[in-house]
Amino acid sequence: MGEIVSNLSMVWTDPWLLFLTAIGTLAGIYVGAIPGLSVTMATSILISFTFKWPVNDALALIAGIFMGGVYGGSRTAILLNIPGAPSAIATAIEGYPMAKRGDAGEAIGLTTVMSVIGGFVGIFALAMFAPVISSFAIMFNSRDYLLLGLIGILLVGTLSGESFAKGAFAGALGVLIGMVGLDPMTAEGRFTFGNVSMMGGIPYVAAMIGFFGVAEALVQLHQLDVAVVRQRVDRIVPKLRDVKRYLGLALRASGIGTIIGALPGTGGDIAALLAYDHAKRSTSNPEVPFGEGCKEGLVAPEAANNAAVGGAYIPMLTLGIPGDAVTAVIIGALFIHGLKPGPLLLVETPHLFWFIVGALSLANICLLIFGLTGIRIFTKIVECPKGVLIPLIIVLSAVGTYAIQNNPVHIYWMLLFGIIGYFMKMYGFQVGPVILGVILGPMMDSNYRRAMLGARGDMGTFFWNFVSHPITLVLSIALVAMLLSQTPLMRWFNRWRTARQRR
Amino acid sequence: MSGNSPKRQGERGFSLLLVVFSVTAFWQSYAISGFTGLSTAGVFPMLASATMIAAAVCILVESLLESHDAHADVTVDQKSMQSVLPMRLVIMVLLITGYLVAMPAIGFLLSSAAFLLASFSYLWRKPFLVSLLITVVSVASVYIIFRKLFQVVLPNGSLIQGLF
Repeated sequence: MGEIVSNLSMVWTDPWLLFLTAIGTLAGIYVGAIPGLSVTMATSILISFTFKWPVNDALALIAGIFMGGVYGGSRTAILLNIPGAPSAIATAIEGYPMAKRGDAGEAIGLTTVMSVIGGFVGIFALAMFAPVISSFAIMFNSRDYLLLGLIGILLVGTLSGESFAKGAFAGALGVLIGMVGLDPMTAEGRFTFGNVSMMGGIPYVAAMIGFFGVAEALVQLHQLDVAVVRQRVDRIVPKLRDVKRYLGLALRASGIGTIIGALPGTGGDIAALLAYDHAKRSTSNPEVPFGEGCKEGLVAPEAANNAAVGGAYIPMLTLGIPGDAVTAVIIGALFIHGLKPGPLLLVETPHLFWFIVGALSLANICLLIFGLTGIRIFTKIVECPKGVLIPLIIVLSAVGTYAIQNNPVHIYWMLLFGIIGYFMKMYGFQVGPVILGVILGPMMDSNYRRAMLGARGDMGTFFWNFVSHPITLVLSIALVAMLLSQTPLMRWFNRWRTARQRR
Repeated sequence: MSGNSPKRQGERGFSLLLVVFSVTAFWQSYAISGFTGLSTAGVFPMLASATMIAAAVCILVESLLESHDAHADVTVDQKSMQSVLPMRLVIMVLLITGYLVAMPAIGFLLSSAAFLLASFSYLWRKPFLVSLLITVVSVASVYIIFRKLFQVVLPNGSLIQGLF
């Protein structure tokens, strides 16, 4: 117990770690808020600088960036009606009308406090449930990990994209990119074309920064001339009466956020939309109608998306399965630091787990401080012209990619992935599943082969094992249900059912 | 950022390209270890590329059906072609390529300054001196924050080694 407390408080007592968490949160808020800079982009670029740092320093900075970034999107959603991140879409629906009424300060204050409450609920859930899930996950076998990987990629692909086929393609492409290099089991070359530099595989940080940094910057070239509307901001600290009044809703929304965040493949964006929906259905007499600046509709998504941060750490740390695109990037960073996220992380390095919990809590407090201050400077920074921002993103992306192994070839990979990512985005593909595929592909490959070897290479035994073990069976049913719900078969069935009901 | 516009010029071409790429990827996956066993190095890449082929064919069919339904309007399509590949994008990609190729040769500082100055002048269109000032401030901040504070190694430049 004493050890847990000392690890929890380490980040609070060491001035350097305290500084890093604070600076990470501040950077996260601003980067998350600037339209065109996403949390994923910020995390992938900023994390690349931490690879040579001691692991605690890196973890403290990452916790701050993630926490701040998820919150930051709400500010631009309120002030400019441009959600800084997808998780702030619901916030824009209610926050911007409030700002137009002259209540921008109140909206910002309320979202800050509710985000912090949501953040703590998520962290509490992480501290309580991760050890339990971890001890449960030790019973998972290779088939279960294969299924979890597939579910994660498919969930990201199907929930956020234009079509299931596009999501599946992006996920499979990521898996294929993750396969490049020498096979870890047999040392056979895969897609190396006899080239020595390909044998180490494609650097996934280059892929991350390419897909999230460069590609996004190129897409932003289309919105170079979007004019910015300024809002008046006055009182920021919210009224105690308001906080008390919406606390119940915030806690319920945080519960939703934590659970959604903890599901592999779903993150803050879906959590926020579901919580918004919950607020809509559970509020019978809102002061102001939904869509016109209703505070309930502002509180619920903001509490939920920050609760999802703690939630997203749960599958990442206990199963080694990233909850969403940001955690996919973070998991890449953990691997580079020599950590092995998965059920053994809590057994072998419990001090790191409690350190992360402590860092997230501190980041949440920093969020409260920075969230309620510095709005004036903030409005100036957010108005940074795209013509200046885009070239700077490119320079930072190049520095970030080069920083990892000091290899100029990696920046060419970054550019290539940036261009591919641009076209994918333009034609309605999501790039999140690609990165999830890159990270999860090698894990799925080795688990598939282990499962197949366990079945002595017999296809019948291999598939029988999927239905004869309880945990595997549950996961298999979940995967099949997900696949079926996306096929034309399901659409026909629904059409048939509604037609029958009408009759 | 993808937007919801279902028809973009070049979508069918892009979908076809995806099918070709997926088939090539499958062929390359097959070349790893063929069909010699179910747990060989090539099986998972084959599964992934087979998924890509199936998905790419679905995407191609979707895009063909969409344009068929819409009786594609030429002028609208021309507009959306510009929106997928505007001149601004082509010029920026060329600038970025030039920047990244020059970086190992002339070093991070010089190449970044040149790239930033060129792209600020092109995208921002403010007086030259303003662009120059922002360039100097940006490069200096990046250098101080990343090289000095974070101790990140930046490309030195093989041509003028030691100078920058």
